[in-house]
Amino acid sequence: MAAPTAPASATNTNDSVTVKMIGVLLWGAAVAVLLGVYANEHTATKEKPYTLFFTDTIQLKVWFATAAVILAVVQVLLALRIYGKLRWPRTAPPWLGDAHRLTGVVAFALTLPVAYHCLWSLGFQSVDMAGEASTRVLIHSITGCFFYGAFVTKVLCVRMRGLPGWMLPVIGGLVFSALVVLFITSSLWYIVDRPAGFPLF
Amino acid sequence: MSAPKGAGFTRFVNVVEIVVGIIAVAFVIALFVNEPAEESGAPKAPGASIYAANCATCHGQGGQGGVGPTLAGQVVTEFPDPADEIAVVRNGRGGMPSFGGDLTDQEIAQVVEYTRTDLGK
Repeated sequence: MAAPTAPASATNTNDSVTVKMIGVLLWGAAVAVLLGVYANEHTATKEKPYTLFFTDTIQLKVWFATAAVILAVVQVLLALRIYGKLRWPRTAPPWLGDAHRLTGVVAFALTLPVAYHCLWSLGFQSVDMAGEASTRVLIHSITGCFFYGAFVTKVLCVRMRGLPGWMLPVIGGLVFSALVVLFITSSLWYIVDRPAGFPLF
Repeated sequence: MSAPKGAGFTRFVNVVEIVVGIIAVAFVIALFVNEPAEESGAPKAPGASIYAANCATCHGQGGQGGVGPTLAGQVVTEFPDPADEIAVVRNGRGGMPSFGGDLTDQEIAQVVEYTRTDLGK
């Protein structure tokens, strides 16, 4: 028996999905590139624009980033339950999806003042404070731009219908991974490698 | 503990999303419009930029302290002789790293002078 040929509407649908996928990825790439260009071209002010109730901006950044990572871990656990990869609690409460959104939104909000200081005050860097080439600083700069590009892509994936089911968890995983890399190359480095150890408020 | 009521919680999350979205846009706008004020007075002491690049992270932008101790208004008391403060900057002490390999003797002298005069003013 001859294999059935795909109907024209199915081909159109596949084309449409591909266009949508490329579209959301291009938006994310554009955001990442624009942030990188801004951070590279903008003259770093070296100023500390806010401290809130912390003793210094660096303390604010370390604590905000730490809180964002903790919330992101919670968000991933909630996502795993939503996708049925975790079986606890046995009956998923109806507010699980909203709790997933809320933790993600708050985590994102916590990254904003951190990123603002990085972009506006420090810029795109590949050297440490002593002026020596630093792989850690370079990875942090690149990942910082990538994170917001991936975040925009994820938001578009959530909002846009008709994308493949695997795309949202994959992009979400990339956003989470980028945030963890950012944390490791900044806050965790600060906490572990600084002589004074864990920062106070 | 009672579970949040579905519709009310969803509305709350929607509002939070909108607020955070507005804040994000505000941060993006601030990146472009928030330029530092033009310097109008006397030029900064040469040690100011050295301090900002090497010392401010631990001792605070205004020398108010942070991970490291307060410097503004304190160093002259602790180190009546500037040579003692220079030695600490050059060789390090306790948790403070040595800057002898990163800064020249002139730069160390300039930043020490800055911490003893203009820092925090």
